[in-house]
Formats: sequence, structure tokens, C-alpha cells
Amino acid sequence: MRAAAALILALALAGCDSAPKVVFADASITLPDDPIDLPEGPGRDAVIENCTACHSPSTMLQQPKVSAEKWESIVGKMRKLYKAPVDEAAVPAIVAYMMHVQSLPEASR
Amino acid sequence: MNETRLSRRALIAGAGTAALAAPALAKLAAGGMIDLVLPGGPSLRPTTPAFPGKGEMIVQRIRPPLLETPMEVFREGIITPNDRMFVRWNWDMPTQVKAAEHRVAVGGAVKNAVSLTLNDIAAAGETVEVVAINQCAGNGRGLSSPRVTGTQWGNGAMGCAKWTGVRLKDVLAKAGLAAGARRVRFAGLDVPLTDGAPQFIKSIPMDIALRDDVLVAWGMNDAPLSILHGFPLRIVVPGWFSTYWVKMLSTIEVLTGEDDSYYVADSYRIPAQPITPETKDFPTVPVTAMPPRAFITSHGDGEVVALGKPLVLDGIAMGGDAALERVDLVGKGWEIPCTLGPDEGPFAFRRWSVKLPQVAGDFESIGVRARNVNGAVQPEALAWNPSGYARNVIERMTLRAQ
Ligand code: HEC
Repeated sequence: MRAAAALILALALAGCDSAPKVVFADASITLPDDPIDLPEGPGRDAVIENCTACHSPSTMLQQPKVSAEKWESIVGKMRKLYKAPVDEAAVPAIVAYMMHVQSLPEASR
Repeated sequence: MNETRLSRRALIAGAGTAALAAPALAKLAAGGMIDLVLPGGPSLRPTTPAFPGKGEMIVQRIRPPLLETPMEVFREGIITPNDRMFVRWNWDMPTQVKAAEHRVAVGGAVKNAVSLTLNDIAAAGETVEVVAINQCAGNGRGLSSPRVTGTQWGNGAMGCAKWTGVRLKDVLAKAGLAAGARRVRFAGLDVPLTDGAPQFIKSIPMDIALRDDVLVAWGMNDAPLSILHGFPLRIVVPGWFSTYWVKMLSTIEVLTGEDDSYYVADSYRIPAQPITPETKDFPTVPVTAMPPRAFITSHGDGEVVALGKPLVLDGIAMGGDAALERVDLVGKGWEIPCTLGPDEGPFAFRRWSVKLPQVAGDFESIGVRARNVNGAVQPEALAWNPSGYARNVIERMTLRAQ
């Protein structure tokens, strides 16, 4: 089979069976800050409180324009599936804010 | 892991520290902006070299990181440098991993469950290298028409690297498969922030798991995997979408039946038969093997070319889960075969090029069409699906002659 051609078998042991093939060092990273920037608008606080713990706001801001029903179902998915502790009373404000943001010209988002 | 699980109060406290003013874009250090030309927008994305170990990347999301490769990176060669390879995490990953403490638990339907150190893994078998394309199942989702929700990638959630590791089957042999073993499931160190949310775990059927080129890999282009790319180990399944290439591998679990976990049974699925955006209930299958794709990288949409002069177009192509057979430049009612570059194996990018003797006018809506040795060929029309997976429609652009 052609798949076999893809494999370049590395020369494993050159004489000494006990020599490690690879040395694993510790790894760490410092990730850039997540500024949690959201455009001004009614409901902004509800979105910051309920929707920015697990992911940056770009997750919401970069979505294509969708209906209020779709935003409601997205919030529902966050709650039911991902167990987002979203305050029930905040849902209308979250949906209204996302509809507002999606009506803004892109440059001001 | 308890300190990473969040109570509602902790979630709010965390969010409250960062209530800065808008505008949201262009806040990243030393970065620029790029327009991904997504139909209907929003289309602008910041770019930044601010992620450690990464060059200039398109920022789809800072946390958990979603970084896209700018298409210009694909202009030369077939290997994507590590600092330009796309990055994709569903949940936050640990930012520190101690090599000596890391273990990979191999359990489930096995004869002897084992807990392996990194040195145990490296010694499990022969060291193998394979050149393979790593592509997100959602690559190009942002170009869907009609648009769909999810990460709004352009076409840069892909890259090709040389992966080094041992065969998964040699690691499985350390535990020994028990009777009835049917699938192999992988989990990594990235876990949900909330109790009860699905962990990002994925499984593959046994015939795939036992392939000679399916790896537990530690090396990417001759360097150790970085944290962003899944240090210390990731699964490599050449020809399959990267959703199966589980990063920060910590658990290998052999299953005797179907996998009913969320990311296999309920998401990362495509319609079993073609549908339209109006189709309501339809059967689905997991998105697994990659279809062929090709891209023009020498020119961008709308670029001006010299009238009356010869023109060379080139780019990259892939066969998907089988070797590339041919690439054709296609326009309205015509097609021209392209010349293929060096063959680095069936799962690698391959360059193509074509020389046109004389530019006689504009090139309206041209594209390149790849076909693999199994006869799979890129379609004229998008196989639309509600999650925007497995895009492989012929990508079109127009060149203006002047
Ligand atoms: C408990 C964690 C959590 C919280 C809190 C949360 N989300 Fe999510 N969200 C996720 C995860 C996980 C994903 C999938 C991420 C990925 O694919 O990388 C996601 C994805 C999304 C997406 C992308 C589309 C999709 O369906 O995948 C949108 C839009 C979104 N979230 C909106 C919201 C909104 C609005 C809120 C506030 C009501 C919210 N999220 C709160 C975990 C969360």
C-alpha cells in the first residue's frame, strides 16, 4: 500500500540499547492576557458576568448574524451542555445585547 | 483538578476583574488586522505574534486559544513551521506540565491496565516519522453559505508537519487488548471548567488504531511538541481530521462497544446524505477521513496580472485520506492539468503549478480541483452542513488582467 511509503523509519538504536531516544523536559507557557472587551450596549454587564468565564468574548462577537431565537438556543446549549451557571433572569438581556451588537457596523465591535 | 472547577461565584469574580471598555478589536500587542472575507461578516480579525512560540497568527480567540495560520504561510514548501501551525483548544489547557510526573493510563478492555511514563512510551516500540496534514474538521466554516455558528475559521486551520513518535499499537501492546476490543478512546489534560460538562475525549475504530502510521507522537518538525500543540504527547491519525489527534494525551481507553460520549455521539457529525439548509431531521455520521482540497497560494482574489504576458500559478493540494492523483486549474467551461511537485507521502501537502503562455483577459472565478487515487474529487458546490464541517468545495478567485 502507498501508506507505507509515508513512513520513514527512524534509525532507532545505534549500538547502545539503553540510550534514550528522546529526552523529555518540562514545559510551561504564559498566555497573553484576555482583555474581555465588549462594545457598550444594554445587557453588556450580563454578558460579561455570564458568558466570559470559559471563553473570550470573540466567541460571541465573531458569530455571523443570527436570530434572537438562535441566541436563546445558544445560551440554552451553554447552560444544559456545558453547565454554564447562567442566571435565568439574565437570559433576555444577554439575547438583547447580542442582537444589539450584531446590528453595529463591524468596525465598532 | 478541583481548583479548576468553577462555582457561579468564582465565574463572576473572574469575569469582574476585566470589565474594560470597548472597542473589542485591535487590543493585542504589536498586532495588525486581517480581513478573512467571510460572507456577510464579521470578517476582521486581529493578528499577533504575542503567543509564546508562535509567529504572526490570526486570533480567533485568546482563551482557550484559537489561532489561525495566514494563507501566505502556504506560499512556499509543504511543511508548516511550528510557529505558524494553527492552534485549537475546546477548553483551557494546563499551562505547565512536568515531564517526570506525566503518566498515560492505558485501560478499559485490556489484559493489564498500565500507567506509562514518557520514557515508557518512547521505549514502547520503534520510533516512526510520518509527514501528515493536521486539519480542523471546521476549517473554512466561516466561508459557509448560508453561514453557520461555531468558530469562524477562514481556510487556515490546517498545516502539514513531520510527526515523530511510536505506533499506537505498540503502546496498546504494553497493556494487551482483551477480547471484544473495538475502539480506542483518548483523553488529554484539558478538562471542563464546570462539573458535568463533557470532557474533550475522542475515539477511533480498532482497524484505524492498529494502523502502522497512527502514532503517539512527541515530536513536531524535529522539535518537542509545545504546550499549545499538545505537550507532551498527541495522537496522530494521518488522513483523518485533527479532532481525533487528541493533545496532552493522558488516558487511552479501549472500548468494547460504540462510543456514546458527547464529542463522538453528538457533535463532530455530518449528514449521512447530502442535505439542504431546509432539511430538518436527518441521520448523521462522525466526521472522520479528510476529502481532497487544493488552494491557489501564488495569488489572492482580485489580484492584477499582466495582460499579454505568461503567468505562473501555484499552490498546495492534498489527497485527504488517500494520495493526491491530480490537480486541475478550472474556469468557466475549461480546465488545464497542473504539474505536481515532489511527493512527500500520501498524507502530506503536495505543491502544484501551471504555466499559462499568455494572459488574454481576466480570469473570472478560477479555482483548482484536486482528485485523490480513490477517485474522490472536489465538488463544484459546497456540501453544506449545519456545523460547517469538512469543507472541500473548489475555492474560487478572480484575477484581473491589466
Ligand atoms: C461553562 C463554560 C461556558 C460558559 C460560562 C459559556 N460558554 Fe459558550 N461555549 C463553551 C464551550 C466549551 C464552547 C465550545 C468551545 C469550542 O468549540 O472551542 C462554547 C461555545 C460558544 C459559542 C460558539 C458557538 C457554539 O455553539 O459552539 C458561542 C456563540 C457561545 N459559546 C456563547 C456563549 C454565551 C452567549 C454565553 C453566556 C450565556 C456562554 N457562551 C457561556 C462554554 C461556555
